[in-house]
Amino acid sequence: MTALTATASPPLSRPFLPLVRAEVLKLRKNRGLVLTAAAMTVGAMIVAYTILLLLHAFNPDHHGPAGGVANLGNGVMLLAGLGSVAAILVGAAAGAADLSSGVFRELVVTGRSRLALFASRIPGGLTVLFSLVSAAVAIVVTVTVGFAGSLAAPSAGLLAGTVLWLLVEIAFYFAVALGLASLLGSRAQTIAILLAWRMAVTPILLSIGALGVARDAVPGAAFNRLAPDAIGKYVQEGGAVSMSVIAAIVALVAWTAIAVSLGAWRTATRDA
Amino acid sequence: MTPSPFVVETAGLTKRFGDRTVVRDVELQVPRGSAFGYLGPNGAGKTTLIRMLLGLTRATSGSMHLLGLPVPQRRSEALARVGAIVEEPRFHRFLTGRENLEIVAAARGHEATQRIDAAIDRVGLARRAGDRVGTYSLGMRQRLGIARLLLADPELLLLDEPMNGLDPAGIEEFRILIRSLVGEGRTVMLSSHLLDEVEKTVDALAIVDQGRVVAQGSIAELTRNGPATIVIASADNGRAGHLLGAHAAVDRIASEDGVLRVQLRSIDERVEQNAVADINRRLVEAGIPVYRLEPEHASLERRFLEITSRLEEAA
Repeated sequence: MTALTATASPPLSRPFLPLVRAEVLKLRKNRGLVLTAAAMTVGAMIVAYTILLLLHAFNPDHHGPAGGVANLGNGVMLLAGLGSVAAILVGAAAGAADLSSGVFRELVVTGRSRLALFASRIPGGLTVLFSLVSAAVAIVVTVTVGFAGSLAAPSAGLLAGTVLWLLVEIAFYFAVALGLASLLGSRAQTIAILLAWRMAVTPILLSIGALGVARDAVPGAAFNRLAPDAIGKYVQEGGAVSMSVIAAIVALVAWTAIAVSLGAWRTATRDA
Repeated sequence: MTPSPFVVETAGLTKRFGDRTVVRDVELQVPRGSAFGYLGPNGAGKTTLIRMLLGLTRATSGSMHLLGLPVPQRRSEALARVGAIVEEPRFHRFLTGRENLEIVAAARGHEATQRIDAAIDRVGLARRAGDRVGTYSLGMRQRLGIARLLLADPELLLLDEPMNGLDPAGIEEFRILIRSLVGEGRTVMLSSHLLDEVEKTVDALAIVDQGRVVAQGSIAELTRNGPATIVIASADNGRAGHLLGAHAAVDRIASEDGVLRVQLRSIDERVEQNAVADINRRLVEAGIPVYRLEPEHASLERRFLEITSRLEEAA
């Protein structure tokens, strides 16, 4: 790089995949974030099932095997709760990290489309998040199948349905956090709002029967409805809401689309 | 197609924040292959202009061209060959210097990734490229910022207050780097309020005040553009001042530090030369020994203050 190269037309298309890799790099190297998310997913499953295994090993008369469908339900309930918190943390970091560090401006001056910059955060963040959740799921499946003992082990169909449901819930909270963080430009505000919504507001709204069909719009109700029957009673949030599968899917898609669209719009229009 | 002789062109460029006009009808032309200064006091609208050129904020009205391409319409193409530092360069502090470059190279494209090593070498950060940016000094972050903009192999570099916070050695290093970049055929446009540094670094400049470009040209043109002052030291400054006060070419005389500063009315170089010769002759004929008589070329600083203070008076 000692002299200006001959003026050439800039490349008309710039590949998207390197942007995704860059997002993965940013999130992966954020040690505090990764350690916290890992503790809430892999760490929580290790601790929970280790306790169940030890209890059964030392006192099998009072404590049943660590595996089986019931412990699948309990483990997934814990993983869905903490995993969605991890998803909020990762989504908020993906949405606000470039803004808070000032690097967003440096990326905009490359001439790269702002929408491409935003879009790359979705697969980038999900890659980091799902790598942790996959490890946690592997623990759940190994223990609930391998240590079922006298209990019926969960079927392959139940496991597949449960894992799919879990991944959808975690991806949902990631997408909403990403959109909200990109909209607000603040990681802390995003985390506070979504944790309050997830932990406090959702159970309250679902418990208020007077709200009627309005409760169908609450994501927690949709996840209650979509949970596989065998684990449904373990993962219920708040009161049960009677709604169709289609309505549940529409509610989740609508929330996701609104959050992502607002985040994309703000990314494209904000002063950098 | 012949490339435009100007890498930056603006016409009627204006930016308002509510009722406040920060950039006002700016007509700017930055010649290709030069170091160009955008000089003005703090709050004059320098950063806002650069931010508009880069698409970081929208113009209220007016038009802009970068490398001959209209922006924001063809912003992506134009910025592919533009490198910029706006205010202090920003990085992810938990990433290494190299990783920070990888992030931006990913946005720029494959060629940029291939330039990372050369860029790091060029700014002298090879030994620290693997360290986290959070451990870098300001000077090192500035150098990493330069490395980052070199990833674009830029035809145009837009640097906003690049010497802020640098120590004298860092400033000198930066000046040499800018000259070497210009020597490679690149254009460097830098905004600054540091008159001395701009004067030493650039070939041409625009002076901006209260959002308006109030003067534009080469440093020689700008410093010549105004009535000349002659510095005179004689055996009897009092009598010399009295004698010259009646001279038709003299506008005003000030006595300071043992010399007379005689400001002429004309800005014409030939008239100025004749006036100097005539003043010398009159002093000698009056029997006043002259120790020193020399035209004083206005420094950029003096010219800058003249222009901006004139505007303040007009306001």
